Amino acid sequence: MQEKPNLHCRAARLRSCWWIAGCLMLALAAKAGPANMVLIPNGLYHPLFLSANDLKEVPVKSFYLDAFPVTVKDFLEFLRANPRWQRSRVKRIFADESYLNNWAGDLDPGTNAPASSPVTYVSWFAAKAYAEWKGKRLPTVAEWEYAASASATRPDGESDPRFKAEILQWYSTPTPLVLPAVGADTANFFGAHNLHGLVWEWVADFNSALIAGDPGSNGVSERRFFCGAGSQGAREVDDYPAFMRYAFRSSLKADYCVHNLGFRCARDL
Amino acid sequence: MKKTKLSFALATALLMTARLSQASELGTNTPVRSCCAAMETPGSVPAYTDKSLYQVESTWTTDTGKAMKLGSLAGKPQVILMFFSKCTSACPILMNDLKRISAALTPQERTQVGFTMVSFDTDHDTPLALAEYRQTWDLPVRNWTLLSGRQDDVLELAALLGVKYKAAADGQFAHSNAITVLNAKGEIVHQQVGLNEDISETVQTLIKLVKN
Repeated sequence: MQEKPNLHCRAARLRSCWWIAGCLMLALAAKAGPANMVLIPNGLYHPLFLSANDLKEVPVKSFYLDAFPVTVKDFLEFLRANPRWQRSRVKRIFADESYLNNWAGDLDPGTNAPASSPVTYVSWFAAKAYAEWKGKRLPTVAEWEYAASASATRPDGESDPRFKAEILQWYSTPTPLVLPAVGADTANFFGAHNLHGLVWEWVADFNSALIAGDPGSNGVSERRFFCGAGSQGAREVDDYPAFMRYAFRSSLKADYCVHNLGFRCARDL
Repeated sequence: MKKTKLSFALATALLMTARLSQASELGTNTPVRSCCAAMETPGSVPAYTDKSLYQVESTWTTDTGKAMKLGSLAGKPQVILMFFSKCTSACPILMNDLKRISAALTPQERTQVGFTMVSFDTDHDTPLALAEYRQTWDLPVRNWTLLSGRQDDVLELAALLGVKYKAAADGQFAHSNAITVLNAKGEIVHQQVGLNEDISETVQTLIKLVKN
């Protein structure tokens, strides 16, 4: 007599277990998100340069980021659908003379731009137009830096000297004439590939990199104009990779097309 | 009757799945925006030169609440300044620079030059805030345009002008100080960088443009 209710109980528990499992699977399916994009969870970005009235930590809201840089094949699709971005038709104000320089023709990437290699020689305007066409957008500096601060094993890879050393080693290696395919590396903690080690990437607000000594930037003081003093306001003076990215970004103009500069897209949740 | 309804429903369902699979092939879950395709249609956009800023598609709002494209500034040279109304450091000096430039022109030349100010501050600088700014600075209605826009479009315009800016946590913006001269076609012909600079080159550029 006592066994029966127990059995009932068990059955009910089993049923609720199935329910929970079902809900979990649904949640996971929702979390998987758009194809070839990874979920970057809520986090904090630590800006390299801080003026007196800046936050030490910038909250980054959870977002989707392309798992790989946009490839030549992806970009070819975009060019087919948007002829005005083809090399011979693009307006000079939106892309300099080097636009798609390694392609053989308007719709022919040729041998120097293999299909699965990241597309490069693209301007910020072209990258932005591609992202809009995809229903996406370019990531912000804060989003990109936060996603890229993860090593393969931990979200805060930037505090791991070995991780930093590996990135620096890439920075000192010349870019090959023909870029290798995307995705050949180990994914980082968030599941994103090639944030380091393949190409530099455009971000939406690349033109927000104001050096502390720029006229008009808030909190300018004389000492910042001294040689090397740019690093005085910096968060971590030995984060050389961050300095290099900062310097690279501040040297860019939106129409620049460079051999080792590509992009990837982001999207809100 | 029932049969046709059923087959119609079936056909719709089939069409929808076909569309869905098309969308997933492109690797997106949302329909692809038709923004870019619309831009392809000839005739909808006046033909601007390759170097004209007026090729941008963005829509802006004036301080009277009117929507406009940058292309409607075409026809006369423009002096462009990016700023924000709450700025207490650089912008008042830049504003003064614009007034000095305007004052250096003859009344006749002045009617042939436009001054356009575009705000970085997409949150605070509503048409109303800009209308107040116009009053505070006593900017003539004629030839002085004050614009606010979407963050993305402000970023794009800044990129085109080579202007860098960054929002600080306290609601102020760090920004480069650049006064840009566009010719009647919307091409950049001159840029003055800095605060309280010598304006003579900018004025000479404008006079030459007006004469041509």
